[in-house]
Amino acid sequence: MSETTTTNGTAARAVEAVKTYGKGEAAVHALAGVTVDFPAHRFTAIMGPSGSGKTTLMQCIAGLDRLTSGSAYIGETELSKLSRTDLTLLRRDRLGFIFQQYNLIPTLSARENMLLPLTLAGKPADEEWFETIVSTVGMGDRLKNLPSQLSGGQQQRVAVARALIPRPDIVFADEPTGALDSSTGTEMLTFMRKAVDETGQTIVMVTHDPHAASFANSVLFLADGQITDEMEAPTTDRVLDRMKQFEG
Amino acid sequence: MLRLAWLGVRHNPARYVATIVAIMVGVAFFAATGFLSDRVVDALEGNVDREYGTVDAALIVDDSGAAGDFAGNLRIDGAVADRIASADGVEATAGVLTGKVAFRAADGSTFATDATGRLWVEDDELNPVDVIEGNAPATAGEIAVDKGLAKDHDLTVGDQVTILTLAGPADATVVGITKFGSTDALDSGGTVSIPRATAFDWLSSGQVEYQALYVRGSGDQAALVAAIEPIAPKGYRVQSGDDFRADQRKAVGSTGQLLKRVLQAFALLAMLVGAFVIYNTFSVIVTQRVRELGLLSAIGATPKQIKRALRYEGLVIGLLGSALGVLVGFGLTFAFAVGLTAIGIDLPGSGAKLGLGSALQPILLGTVITVLSVMIPARRAARTEPIEALRASAAEQSPLTRGRVIGSAALLGLGVVALVAGRDAKQLGIGALALFVGVIVAGPIIAIGGARLLRPVLSLFGLEGRLAIDNTARSPKRTAITANALLIGVFLVTLVSVAGTTMKDFVVEKIREIETADYVIQSTGGTIDPALVTKLEEVDGVTEVVAFRREAVTLDGQASQIFTGDIAALERVSGIDVSEGSFDDVGPGAIAVVGVGEAATPAIGTTVAVANAAGTRDELEVAAHIKFSIDSTVAGNFVGEEAFDRLVGDTAPTVAFIDAESGAQSTTKDAIEALVDQRPDVDLTEGNFLGQLIGGAFDFLINAVNGLLVMSIVIALIGIVNTLSLSIFERRRELGLLRAVGMTDRRVQRMVRLESVVIATLGTVVGVGLGLFMGWALVSSISRLSGADVSLSLPATRLVIVLAAGILLGVLASLIPARRSTKLDVLDAIQVT
Repeated sequence: MSETTTTNGTAARAVEAVKTYGKGEAAVHALAGVTVDFPAHRFTAIMGPSGSGKTTLMQCIAGLDRLTSGSAYIGETELSKLSRTDLTLLRRDRLGFIFQQYNLIPTLSARENMLLPLTLAGKPADEEWFETIVSTVGMGDRLKNLPSQLSGGQQQRVAVARALIPRPDIVFADEPTGALDSSTGTEMLTFMRKAVDETGQTIVMVTHDPHAASFANSVLFLADGQITDEMEAPTTDRVLDRMKQFEG
Repeated sequence: MLRLAWLGVRHNPARYVATIVAIMVGVAFFAATGFLSDRVVDALEGNVDREYGTVDAALIVDDSGAAGDFAGNLRIDGAVADRIASADGVEATAGVLTGKVAFRAADGSTFATDATGRLWVEDDELNPVDVIEGNAPATAGEIAVDKGLAKDHDLTVGDQVTILTLAGPADATVVGITKFGSTDALDSGGTVSIPRATAFDWLSSGQVEYQALYVRGSGDQAALVAAIEPIAPKGYRVQSGDDFRADQRKAVGSTGQLLKRVLQAFALLAMLVGAFVIYNTFSVIVTQRVRELGLLSAIGATPKQIKRALRYEGLVIGLLGSALGVLVGFGLTFAFAVGLTAIGIDLPGSGAKLGLGSALQPILLGTVITVLSVMIPARRAARTEPIEALRASAAEQSPLTRGRVIGSAALLGLGVVALVAGRDAKQLGIGALALFVGVIVAGPIIAIGGARLLRPVLSLFGLEGRLAIDNTARSPKRTAITANALLIGVFLVTLVSVAGTTMKDFVVEKIREIETADYVIQSTGGTIDPALVTKLEEVDGVTEVVAFRREAVTLDGQASQIFTGDIAALERVSGIDVSEGSFDDVGPGAIAVVGVGEAATPAIGTTVAVANAAGTRDELEVAAHIKFSIDSTVAGNFVGEEAFDRLVGDTAPTVAFIDAESGAQSTTKDAIEALVDQRPDVDLTEGNFLGQLIGGAFDFLINAVNGLLVMSIVIALIGIVNTLSLSIFERRRELGLLRAVGMTDRRVQRMVRLESVVIATLGTVVGVGLGLFMGWALVSSISRLSGADVSLSLPATRLVIVLAAGILLGVLASLIPARRSTKLDVLDAIQVT
């Protein structure tokens, strides 16, 4: 929603973000002072090898975890100043989430899972918007099924629908295609791309898959808790090349 | 959130089975005791209305005085009863006269020896029983028996029987069968109705007299009472029908209410143990669902909402379990009644009374306890961090926080000090509570320590033994909570056994020291005639039989009794002795009174007024005090023969003390009993019957309390089954891996069994230890505070049984989880879900 984004079009940002696990000699710096802006209405991918801190960065900006020092903002809201409950309410009202697995509540039907954030907030569903999202993800005929009766791809589509239905400021996705086969994954990414282009949705995605990253407007590269590079209009091959440079 | 909670319950019913069963068992027990006591109270109160419904005024023994013990022998003279019958406003009277009777069969054996003979009430309205077959007994030789007696002893209308009464054996014809309301008989051992023509001969040695008199009037109850009061004999009081019924109802009601309160206290205890099981189950459920809870938190469920969802689950489970519990409890009521009948206790009333109140109360209680038990797990669930949804598995947090160590040490210290050095009951109570709570709080620490101690023992079982012990130490909190449920039950059983046995031994020992006659025989309404005395003296082992005369009187207006006889012989065979003065000083105008404490005993030299049932009065001077003893309460106050004749008349002895040789007591007793059995009016008691009675009462109490406590142990068993099952579900990947790399199913099952035994052993051993210590502390406190020298008696056999049973329970509890542990396919088990 545009009113919560800043005039210069930043949906979220981190300033000197540091996250340390453990103490003393055993301390591990997952984030070693990251400063980054995520522009609104864009699809940004965060890439990096295992242990580079990409998931930690996303979790701290999304208010799922807290920084050791530095600050993280959603719009103009500084997250470190918020209480547990306020942080939860912020996630509920302004953010959407898609995880790699265990994305759905097993006892609720597909429709109930999609509407869960609104139910938690006690808000009525916008039926028209709901229909639009459901038909776009192509789940119209499986709404009454429980997650256990859906395939992995279908479950992930329900998760995407759940993230988009409340029209959040930003959708955070952590390896959304990690558990899917390649054609289902492509379908998912195409759909996320469409959400950015057609409805102006802001999406931040963590991935290690160059093919997935190629759907984004830009890619941030992370290594050892620091941003090492940034790439506009990525393609699979260019991303792959860059990744090879890291390893080399 | 309510919907989420409901769906959570509906989709995972297996998860909650044990919880529901635990709630159900507790609530069922609670409800059944409620239903049963309500039924008893109801039936007893109903009986009051049936028996006394038409009574407008009642002339009853005034038992409010201090000497109430003697009141049972008072009588209303026939002449007095006649005067009351003709008083203003009196329409009809019903005199009550009862006595023990029995029947003799053709082969000489006796039956229905506990039956009560009752003077038949001719007034239809005042008569509490109905004739359901045949006729009312009217002429000499006719009797009616109640339906129960008729059924039990195959008596039918027209039967010729030999009835044993005060007057000896007599031939009688059964002319009717009676019934008392919903029960058969008015009296617990059966009722034999006897017409006026023979009742006074059979029930009171020929004199026309009554124990109580019920009056039906035409006008106002108060006016009736006022009309009767001036005529009422000494020792009696007149009550209006309404007051009388209210008193009777209160008397029977309070018995039922007491029964209810005691039983429900145990049911509450069972529910408390159930609370541990519920708490534990939900703790495990929260751990299992950490990812689901994390996801909810990530997408915006506030801690409050998560907490509420869990509480709703508790509410749903609680309501379901409690409602089922009430239904099961309703069924259980019948089972209880049948069980009690089987052991010879007939409860009054029939069926079970399903009142709205007594059904709602257990449901409410069960639900509240469940919701309360869910509070802590729910709070923990609310603290679930959203990123935990993304982690593979939650790490076990260390339970040995400094707060727990310090807190439990402080509680244990306070408990021990207060118990060992407490100066009054309050301090001891605080100590006991602190020690108990301390042990519960220290549970996880004890679990780790216990696991360390048991490690070498279990290592003997090989790898699975070591894995089993490490599993109990891995989540010590869960081990502790499971063991605690068992601990509570075992602790209470031990405490009750130790403290009860100690007190029993102490009291019985003290009573043994009191000197008494070896046997006492008393005739109710009849006499101890010289022929009987001679027969008794011929019994092998009997050295002397001293019969004496005794009569109920009033002493300064209070119910009491006087006796006379060969005082030298009585002093020889019984514990009767003077405490002040001498029996030699008791002349024709004097009396020796039983000392019942300084204030209540008339001083020597003062005068007391003694009056008999007919109202004849005499002033006697107190010449001596009799020592208060078991025998002196049997005999009463001593007067000379002259004074006795003047007050009572020339009556025959009704009581005798029997002195026997020491040794060979049981055959002597049997021989005396055989003689006495032929005389239904004569009761035999052992002189030191109090010791036996109290010993028996203690044994009964200890067994009954322990029997009720078993309920809580059953629930603890359910808890172990539950925890193990859930923990096996949680560890299915680990178990799958063990099997994949080659551990046989049998060894996996053995591992689960060993884990269960470890938990059960921890609970049992700590429970017995705590019970022993607390029992010892309480007993030594009694010695310390009262100066009495009570020494601890250890019911060793019982303790060994408790220990063995606890460990056996562990094996029993593991049967289902052990089988389940290897049911899953190896590949499914190790697959990521």
